Amino acid sequence: MVLPLVYAIYESVTGIQRSGAFGQGGSSPVFVGLDNYITALGASAFVASLGRVLLFAVVQVPVMIILATALALLLDAASAWGVRFFRSAYFLPYGVPGVIASILWGFLYTPGLSPLVNFGSALGLNLDFLGGGSILWSIANIVTWQYAGYNMLVIVAQLKSIDADLFEAASIDGANAWQVITRIKLPLIRPAIVLTTVFTIIGTIQLFAEPLVLKPLSSAITSSFTPNLSAYNEAFANNNYNLAAAESVLLALVACAFSFGFLKLVTRGGSPS
Amino acid sequence: MKRIRTIAAVVAVAAVFATTACTSTPPGSSSDPSEKANLTFWSWVPGVDKAVDLWNKENPNIQVKLEQTPAGSSGTYAKMYSALKAGKGAPDLAQIEYQELPGFVLENGLVDLKPLGMGVESSKFVDWQLGQSTFGDSVYAVPQASGPMGLYYREDIFSALGLKAPATWDEYAVAAKTIHDANPAQYINTFAPGNSAWFTALAWQAGAKWFGLDGDTWTVNIDSDTTLKVASYWDKLREAGLIKTEPDFANGWYSDLQNGNIVAWPSAQWGGSILSGNAPTTAGKWKVAPLPQWDSTYASANWGGSSTAVLKGTSNAQAAEKFAVWLNTDPQSISLLLAGGYGWPAAKNALAGSTLDKPEEFLGGQNANKDVFKKSDESINTSWGWIPTTANTYTHLNDGFQAAVEGHGTFVDAVKAAQTATIADLEAKGLKVRAGD
Repeated sequence: MVLPLVYAIYESVTGIQRSGAFGQGGSSPVFVGLDNYITALGASAFVASLGRVLLFAVVQVPVMIILATALALLLDAASAWGVRFFRSAYFLPYGVPGVIASILWGFLYTPGLSPLVNFGSALGLNLDFLGGGSILWSIANIVTWQYAGYNMLVIVAQLKSIDADLFEAASIDGANAWQVITRIKLPLIRPAIVLTTVFTIIGTIQLFAEPLVLKPLSSAITSSFTPNLSAYNEAFANNNYNLAAAESVLLALVACAFSFGFLKLVTRGGSPS
Repeated sequence: MKRIRTIAAVVAVAAVFATTACTSTPPGSSSDPSEKANLTFWSWVPGVDKAVDLWNKENPNIQVKLEQTPAGSSGTYAKMYSALKAGKGAPDLAQIEYQELPGFVLENGLVDLKPLGMGVESSKFVDWQLGQSTFGDSVYAVPQASGPMGLYYREDIFSALGLKAPATWDEYAVAAKTIHDANPAQYINTFAPGNSAWFTALAWQAGAKWFGLDGDTWTVNIDSDTTLKVASYWDKLREAGLIKTEPDFANGWYSDLQNGNIVAWPSAQWGGSILSGNAPTTAGKWKVAPLPQWDSTYASANWGGSSTAVLKGTSNAQAAEKFAVWLNTDPQSISLLLAGGYGWPAAKNALAGSTLDKPEEFLGGQNANKDVFKKSDESINTSWGWIPTTANTYTHLNDGFQAAVEGHGTFVDAVKAAQTATIADLEAKGLKVRAGD
């Protein structure tokens, strides 16, 4: 488990030295200390990409978790009819691979092809899903569409495990549906919500496939739109594995800090039931 | 304690792994040509499958297995680089564009073909294209095709507006305004901010020379006045709202070509097959004119251009070289590749009598290869060369152009930023570099 991590750290403190225009005089790896980290953090595009995914996470995580929780509670509260259907329907997008989902949505975003854009312009709206101001949220839409159902299912599973006696007791005590939700269900599904939140934080910070697929369609997505995209580009387009490793390590640190920060926040402020 | 020792061992293993990966690539073994050989070949050129089939039929001893890949910059180069770094999994032969060759040479990924026969056979190729794959005293690839440029334009729309094909870039700007004023949905072309190879070709035409080699030192001269002139020209058209800035080779662009919202394309000779393939309903309405000019002396440029290279680690370098030369010089093979639209042949004297030399229905019966591209090919500034980090330079330009399109800075800013960043790229590779020419 630790081997890739060690290798990444090793690569991130290594550089290359060559002699001759094509290195025909020999090339050798050299220890460069924190040079690659300094280069990464000195590149405004990389720092901006970190800021971008953080902004994305700040908006995306609450939207995702509130939506997933609301859907789960709705399905749990609804009468038996249609529950199975809706549960499957909400979960279905998760079965679509991320790349395919991005291609599908890409079509819906492209002017000239998209029925949404056409419909908007018929109403006099100039919808630009791929522009600089909207592209991040167009990606957020794809991610939400894909994963809300999955997170919902995790929460539904926990809801199902709540002892039915509690609901019986609540109704005897005269609790209404809202009180059942806020006093019983929400406190008891807290672990599931915490879990899905952590997964969502990690997932959003590692944003990669969606911008990669939408990149050819949108001029707003640069080669370093997200930190992962930047590391990928450095490693595989520019053959600078060392800088890519440094960027990856930095990204892992950020993801770690936020996940553990969140966990610390909820365990400190939480009231275990 | 035990844990520390394990980590130390892991670090040691990783270090050994890293150093061996860089140094130990077995040289391609040459062998008896009558011996059986099985070669794999990665390529994305349309029509190459037919040429490979023909070869396999004629050469039972050397069988080539074609693996059709996405275009190099869409991930195939990345795959080749990682296979080379890993020391296994690389194909015997691969399609490599000219601008990417120095990168592969730097990573010590290509077999020198000169001692294998390319030294003798080099006379079969156009000098400047051969120059694109010659580094120092070695020939690292067999030249395949280039992309001499011209201006594709919708003759019907131009003439309805009383416009002729623009002979100069000034006239081109006037045409851009006339077209957009007459119909606000129509634009003369798109400046695709994510495709800086296209911009590079236009700077090349204007007389820029971005890269050079002075002894062991690379020279970088991207932000010359010539390039800045080209960037500022497109800045003005963009700021006036006279061009689109959508991505090219994407669905939105294809749809604009089909419905006539984009009416021209300064492009390479191979651009014709892109147009006919993606906007077939516009057949007969297009024509090709020479690229608009900056000065009175006619200058053209090259966009795209590709070679067949033999990768280190091949099982039979001699057989691979033999196939690569055949693929790019045999008249039958060239015909098959031309039918797919692979570009302008690197083999000498390929125009006369070939499938190139005939009127094209898509162009309303124009013989554009003879009328336009032959002269264009002869007027390319052939001293242009690339650097081992060309792909990075493209990325920097793309990022800057995209930012400009999104309202941050200008194309001129992008060019200036690419100069600084390119010097840093070469330094990061451990190479010597300086600004200027």
